[in-house]
Amino acid sequence: MGFFAPWFLAGLAAVAIPIYFHLLRQQLANPRPFSSLMFFERSTQSSIRHRRLRYLALLAARLALLILLALAFAGPYVLRPVASASERSLLLVVVDRSFSMRAADRMERARQEALAVLGARPAAALAQVAALDAQLHLLTEPTTNAAELSAAVRSIEPTDERSSFGELARAVRAQADSSGAAIELHLVSDMQRTSMPPGFADLALGSRVRLRLHPVAETAEPNFAVESVMAPASIFDPAKARVQATISGLNGPGARRTVSLVAAGKVLETQTVEVPENGRATVEFRSLPVPYGFTRCEVRIDSADRLPGDDRFQFAVERADPRPLLFVHEARESRSLLYFRSALESAQTPAFRLQPASADQAASFDPARFPVIVLSDVEALPGAFEQKLKQHIRDGGALLIAGGPATARRGRLPVLEEKILASRYAARTGERFQTASAVDPAHPSLRLAAGWEAVKFFQVVPIEAAGGRVIARLADGTPLIIDRAFGEGRVIYFASSFDNIANDFPLHPSFVPFVEQTVNSLGRLQQRTSSLVVGSFVELRSSAEQGQAVEVIGPESSRALSLEEAARAQTFQFVREGFYELRRASNRNEMIAVNADRRESDLAPVPQETLALWENTAEGKPEASQAAGATRQPWNLWWYLMLLVAAAALLESFVAARYLSIEREVA
Amino acid sequence: MLQRFLDPKILASISGLDLVAKTVVDGFVAGLHRSPDFGFSQEFAEYRAYTPGDDLRHVDWNVFARTERCYLKRYRGETNTQLTLMLDASASMGYTSHGITKLDYARFLAASLCHLAGQQRDAAGLIVFDDEIRQYVRPSTRQGQLSRLLHAINEAEARARTDFAKPFLHFQQFLRRRGIVGVISDLFERPETVIKTVEPLRFRGNELILFHVLDPEEISPRLGEPAILVDMETGRRLEVSPEYARTEYKRRIEDHLRELRERALAAGVDYFLLPTDRPLDAALREYLTIRQGRM
Repeated sequence: MGFFAPWFLAGLAAVAIPIYFHLLRQQLANPRPFSSLMFFERSTQSSIRHRRLRYLALLAARLALLILLALAFAGPYVLRPVASASERSLLLVVVDRSFSMRAADRMERARQEALAVLGARPAAALAQVAALDAQLHLLTEPTTNAAELSAAVRSIEPTDERSSFGELARAVRAQADSSGAAIELHLVSDMQRTSMPPGFADLALGSRVRLRLHPVAETAEPNFAVESVMAPASIFDPAKARVQATISGLNGPGARRTVSLVAAGKVLETQTVEVPENGRATVEFRSLPVPYGFTRCEVRIDSADRLPGDDRFQFAVERADPRPLLFVHEARESRSLLYFRSALESAQTPAFRLQPASADQAASFDPARFPVIVLSDVEALPGAFEQKLKQHIRDGGALLIAGGPATARRGRLPVLEEKILASRYAARTGERFQTASAVDPAHPSLRLAAGWEAVKFFQVVPIEAAGGRVIARLADGTPLIIDRAFGEGRVIYFASSFDNIANDFPLHPSFVPFVEQTVNSLGRLQQRTSSLVVGSFVELRSSAEQGQAVEVIGPESSRALSLEEAARAQTFQFVREGFYELRRASNRNEMIAVNADRRESDLAPVPQETLALWENTAEGKPEASQAAGATRQPWNLWWYLMLLVAAAALLESFVAARYLSIEREVA
Repeated sequence: MLQRFLDPKILASISGLDLVAKTVVDGFVAGLHRSPDFGFSQEFAEYRAYTPGDDLRHVDWNVFARTERCYLKRYRGETNTQLTLMLDASASMGYTSHGITKLDYARFLAASLCHLAGQQRDAAGLIVFDDEIRQYVRPSTRQGQLSRLLHAINEAEARARTDFAKPFLHFQQFLRRRGIVGVISDLFERPETVIKTVEPLRFRGNELILFHVLDPEEISPRLGEPAILVDMETGRRLEVSPEYARTEYKRRIEDHLRELRERALAAGVDYFLLPTDRPLDAALREYLTIRQGRM
């Protein structure tokens, strides 16, 4: 016997409290003089003795209560042989219900196999049925009821999720540890190779689990699938929209497949592609003529294979007009406008329409109408405009500031009010220019912009980077691009200008993706995606939208959230394929297409040797017991002690009530 | 208007037994209807014409002076009654639960009776006893007798144990004339023993009255919790539970009181229970009223 937390035994010192009070109470019983005891005879002592016994019983109950509490918190345990636990063995039948089980009659075969396993067990044996996809779902309690088990097996239907043997092993290990029972695990599955975890160690089931595998697909069946589709989530010019689909042919010979682009149920374009043996082919559709608003699109192939569910890939597209972008510059300087506009119009998906304005004219524009505003090396802004601009950024707007000689003359950055540290020119006698040496490729602005090292910077206007994220630095460590939050909005500061004077950046190929990605990032266009994978989560509300209702309409046009979830849930998990409509706060609607994980399309099973190895490593024979003969496992006595504590508390209450009742009666 | 019933606690606050006795007696006498038979004896009865041979001392010379006829003043008793009070001063008489001890109460009672007897020209005497006779004042009608009695009563202190046998044996030696004997005690003795001890006095023609003084707590003890009780006479200790005091003890003390009353009645002894929380004058009044009915 031992204790998990022996330091709690110090609580035993508390027994001194009732002992002290009871002794004190006894001492307080001072003798009282009485005229004559002739009517108090020896027989009266029986009553006193009875009362004293009750008094001692009360003391004992209180002591027991304190001792048991201290013991319970100390967490006592006794070591029990594992053999006693293994007597309570459990037959756990797990049926794979992942997306790949939709292939042919795999699901039906799996049900029959599971029923056969359950039918072969002894009638008195405990059994439990579970279903496996991304997680292990227990469908019944451990029971001997054959009808309940059979009904659970028959109720299993394939889902759109992928299966994970690693998750299965983790869940079974946890169950074996918590129940202490020996588990005979029967896994009925198509044993997909892609369901295996990265490391074989993740398949370890523990010493009390015996694994029996029941494959329902022995060979790698050929399968064609639309593996992925790259399509813009938002389209501003249908003629420039590109849809790229990857068609994979798995486990079979090469074949010619017809690929169709479908929008709102209408086939827009069809192409034929040659898919090589065990390879992939790419198809590109060069336009996506869809109406304004959200459109349900998909890329479809005619495969006629045994898993038709992956022959189409759904994606949602929103068509909208380009958004306005306010470009404020000095009236005498128009070069930056020229380069910036050219870059914006050259973008792959021009999402913004540039609205130029000189600093003097800026007052005639309302900043709140522009999702993104660019201040290109401006010295002075109209006061009212600057105030409105500040408020707009605080409320969630986005601003790109380019620094240059005019900004340096101002001394402080507009909006941010950051002090400009210096206006540095590269000396013509020494280094004639500087280059960017440290670039953060993880930032959306720089993700697609390569070749920064070739850009020459002749003049920079640096500021303190405090509170901002430096995403590019010059060779001398000067912050070149800083991304800062401002209220609910964002500000990106580029410490040079776009005029091809302070630098030659506008002439470099990296300028166009930089401008496109930066304004898209600031305009939050990159946060949307055209499709997600089953099992993905979506954030339903930001910190500013707490308490506002969010609606999720599922693939069957039914509400996927309860009323309480609609008001409180932070995230939503997509568990089925199809189109989901999200109606967020502030009437922002969104459509998301969800597809099954394409790893499920690979129907190749795990090699037999690997399965045999897995089975052999989970034979339910603990190594220690083989070595020592009797493995002992700590058995926690906490619950039993707490029951005794409750009993002692009841006894104490009962005796104390009897003890005190006399005083009440007499008084 | 004179107060009718005097709280023993108020009496205890009066200094001087003579004043206490006067207060009590005046109080209850004032409350009685005038009656020719009240008191102990020596009451005027009638006038009778003188016949030769009558004692000239009994001639009422006042009537003779007014009428020139000789009349004898006749009294109910031939001689003055002798009242002897036996005051128990054992340790148990010192018990109190509400401020006035049983001995205090007994003192007031004895003083009142002595005062009453003095008013009627009866000889009053006193024996203070516990297990011995501690004080003896011979019955007399002499001048200053009341003061001597009150002094002796005042001197009585609760001590030692009660033993009826020895004091009564001695008392019988002192008793030369028949009269009234009043025993004031808490009578913590078996009723049979008490009656057997006092009965011989009755055989000698004395009228015997038992004044049983008890504290209310002794009749109906109230214990909130188990208590260790110490016998005031023997020093014996006993742990007593409230249940016992509430049930068994009460039954026993009631049996004791009933047996005392019945045995006293059977032996022709007057028995009168006086709880110490009862107004003394009211108790005396009730007692004398009952006695009148019997006389």
